[in-house]
Amino acid sequence: MKRSWAEPYKMKMVELLKMTTPAQRKKALTEAGFNTFLLKSEDVYIDLLTDSGTSAMSDRQWAGMMMGDEAYAGSKNFYHLEEVVKSVYGYKYLVPTHQGRGAENILSKILIKKGDIVPGNMYFTTTRLHQELAGGRFEDIIIDEAHDPENEFPFKGNVDLNKLDMLVKKYGAKKIAYVSIATSVNMAGGQPISLKNLKELRAYTKKHGILIIHDMTRVAENAYFIQQKEKGYGNKSVKAIVKEICSLTDGATMSAKKDALVNIGGFLTINDWNIFEEARNMVVVYEGLHTYGGLAGRDMEAMAIGIKESVDDDHIRARVGQVIYLGEKMKDYGIPIVRPTGSHGIFVDAKKFLPHIPQTAYTAQTLAAEVYLDSGVRTMERGIVSAGRKSNGENYFPKLELVRFTIPRRVYTQAHMDVIAESTARVFERRHQINGLKMVYEPKYLRFFQARFEKL
Amino acid sequence: MRTIIEPFKIKSVEPIYFNTRDEREAILSNAFYNPFLIKANDVLIDLLTDSGTSAMSSNQWAGIMKGDESYAGSSSFFHFEKVIKEITGYPIAIPTHQGRAAEKILFSILGGAGKYFISNTLFDTTRANIEFSGAIGIDLPCEEGKHPSIPAPFKGNMDVAALKKKIDEIGVANIPMVIMTVTNNSGGGQPVSMQNIKEVSTICKENNIPFFIDACRFAENCYFIKLREDGYANIPVPQIVAELFSYADGCTMSAKKDAFANIGGFLAMKNTELANSCRNLLIITEGFTTYGGLAGRDLEAIAIGLQEVMDENYLQYRIRSIEYLTNKLIAAGVPVMQPAGGHAVYIDAKAFLPHIPVHQYPGQALACALYTEGGIRSVEIGSLMFGKYDNNNHLVPAALELVRLAIPRRAYTQSHIDYVAEVIIEVFEKRNNIGGLEILEETQLLRHFTAKLKPVK
Repeated sequence: MKRSWAEPYKMKMVELLKMTTPAQRKKALTEAGFNTFLLKSEDVYIDLLTDSGTSAMSDRQWAGMMMGDEAYAGSKNFYHLEEVVKSVYGYKYLVPTHQGRGAENILSKILIKKGDIVPGNMYFTTTRLHQELAGGRFEDIIIDEAHDPENEFPFKGNVDLNKLDMLVKKYGAKKIAYVSIATSVNMAGGQPISLKNLKELRAYTKKHGILIIHDMTRVAENAYFIQQKEKGYGNKSVKAIVKEICSLTDGATMSAKKDALVNIGGFLTINDWNIFEEARNMVVVYEGLHTYGGLAGRDMEAMAIGIKESVDDDHIRARVGQVIYLGEKMKDYGIPIVRPTGSHGIFVDAKKFLPHIPQTAYTAQTLAAEVYLDSGVRTMERGIVSAGRKSNGENYFPKLELVRFTIPRRVYTQAHMDVIAESTARVFERRHQINGLKMVYEPKYLRFFQARFEKL
Repeated sequence: MRTIIEPFKIKSVEPIYFNTRDEREAILSNAFYNPFLIKANDVLIDLLTDSGTSAMSSNQWAGIMKGDESYAGSSSFFHFEKVIKEITGYPIAIPTHQGRAAEKILFSILGGAGKYFISNTLFDTTRANIEFSGAIGIDLPCEEGKHPSIPAPFKGNMDVAALKKKIDEIGVANIPMVIMTVTNNSGGGQPVSMQNIKEVSTICKENNIPFFIDACRFAENCYFIKLREDGYANIPVPQIVAELFSYADGCTMSAKKDAFANIGGFLAMKNTELANSCRNLLIITEGFTTYGGLAGRDLEAIAIGLQEVMDENYLQYRIRSIEYLTNKLIAAGVPVMQPAGGHAVYIDAKAFLPHIPVHQYPGQALACALYTEGGIRSVEIGSLMFGKYDNNNHLVPAALELVRLAIPRRAYTQSHIDYVAEVIIEVFEKRNNIGGLEILEETQLLRHFTAKLKPVK
């Protein structure tokens, strides 16, 4: 008999939502230049723009907020966080930062020299930009299956070791700054990497003296998929699997705004003392003294508590269960989505959804705008606009042209999920009447955040 | 005069842990005689900084609960933006996770080799950010500002004649900005007069040089203007604030000071083009334009704090409490900077410990003695923080050897302050028993944060 994935919590505090009319949404969308990033949150009904920083904290985390020690130096919340990071993830040294990108900025500056190669299992927008600004070049070494939205392979976040080996042979191991490994690969649709693959990668990099840096923002979600899908891990706890993943890498950058259930915060953690020393000196310039890293004490406390909650089996089962529930609904309506369903959201295949709109008319951007118009559900483009331009000015043309429906943790109910699926289905029914967009303003960096469009 | 009472009562408390003198001696030795390395739990009264250490009001805490954590277009951002626009009159507000991030962005765009930034006195992180870009920072404090023990009403002023001379010397093309720090932190929390701001503004306008305010303690500065400057006694503080900002083209702000926030900062300005460049960099290192690396709740707390700080009953209490401690110390003969500044008491360590030579760091020795004697944490602002080495590896000392006792806003009571005064006076009486320190280990940059020291035998 089927058993639902009921949440291991109940609601303690709610935030009221505003309902909007089609005319209001049309006006808001036009004012926002058809870019969902530029919508005001009060004009949004269900906000699936991101799962980053949008979680509902637990009553314990809120209690932790009240226990914030705001001393500039030596805050006790820092020591608590340090102890939790060590015990849950197992890395040796900790440098807190105000966000994940603060950690990426510092680490890229320390480890990447001009002309270096940074191989990784698919790019991520801010990560790649920091690698490029530090003088490095990103090379994609994810398996080919990851670029095929219909392929049902369970570990589409895996690394193709042949691709890595070719880079090592071509440039030499010295030119490889480090291998950047994301758990639960965002741009591939929240797809996990297997422990088997990670172990092989560890063996290979050890042989060549190359570091593995772990982008660990959704490591617990990745660990859940390993528990569910990888041979030999069915009886292991998510907590144990998380620790095993981390043990196979040399350090990590973390945006605690995802897995760790906080609204702000991140860190860099590393096993090498010299890198740590350098990072600790650099953090003062960019972020704040090394015992607060640009965070309020209370935010470090909420993070420490959130990390512990994030590796709880019941929590993560309900979290991913809700995402899979929405994925199944979408599939039932015949909506083309990336398979299998990932851990933090549904990625709709815009090329299949709107086959008559070419990538140059911003297929996914168009679809995101249409979904908002229909019901006030805010999603995010993850296609040609997000991919941006190469250093020579040419557009990247990513194989995947997706709209991301990201589910905040512990925020929305099953009825909200139903509304999302129904609304997308309505847009799907009238898909042939939808026209594309043209870009009328393009910022220099990370254009997807602030670009403006008009209807063709 | 009647006692000036706090215009608030206490709603939530945080325990202080007591320890004994013996315990503190061991703690200090384990922290290598550097107060930055002491755990906060081991400190009785923490006067390390007034930055991020304020007690928020119940209204701010309510704002914390109301924070809109949407990644883009958060309603808390629009509240934040509206308040900043109203207070400063600048049309553009850009949030950052701290003040130093706002500076980092501004100087990355405007700085670079061959550029000069002129100021009354640049704060240490401001100077570091300017120099990091390859540019040079120039301090032009007025004459009164250079003498710690001589009282004057506006010791934070810029030397206007020197500014004119410097502009002629360097050339307008190489000066991307003039910055006025209010109040002047490195100069002892001393205020800048409206007259001085007006004069500097006029010179900048004539030469087409952008003029920015480092606004961390804008309300404290404006209250001093009300108290001390002709023609302002009857003008409400918000109006003085509006006038102050009207003379400049923009500001940087660490909201951890005069906005009572535990985290946050911002840039505000008139120039749209400069703002667009700032936003481009913001997204890379801070966060999207409507949150800038802050939680929505923090934007909310800043918006509320910015309005609370301009309350004159609060400012009267704030300025008076610094003066209260300063006067107690003066009465006991302790050498302090005069008159009292807006946020801290500065002890002249060279005069306090004349038997300790500068290469044995008298400021650090005094900060350590205050901790051992009474569990008070202060910070050295002298040769440990600003000293450099010459080519022969000899110490080039800082101009002044100070110990700063920064008073967190709304956190400590009068009896805490009485206790602080008693400890300082007791240490003063026993000053001849205090010995100097030497450095065991240090980093190249910003060494005072992590340096390890030991007593000189």
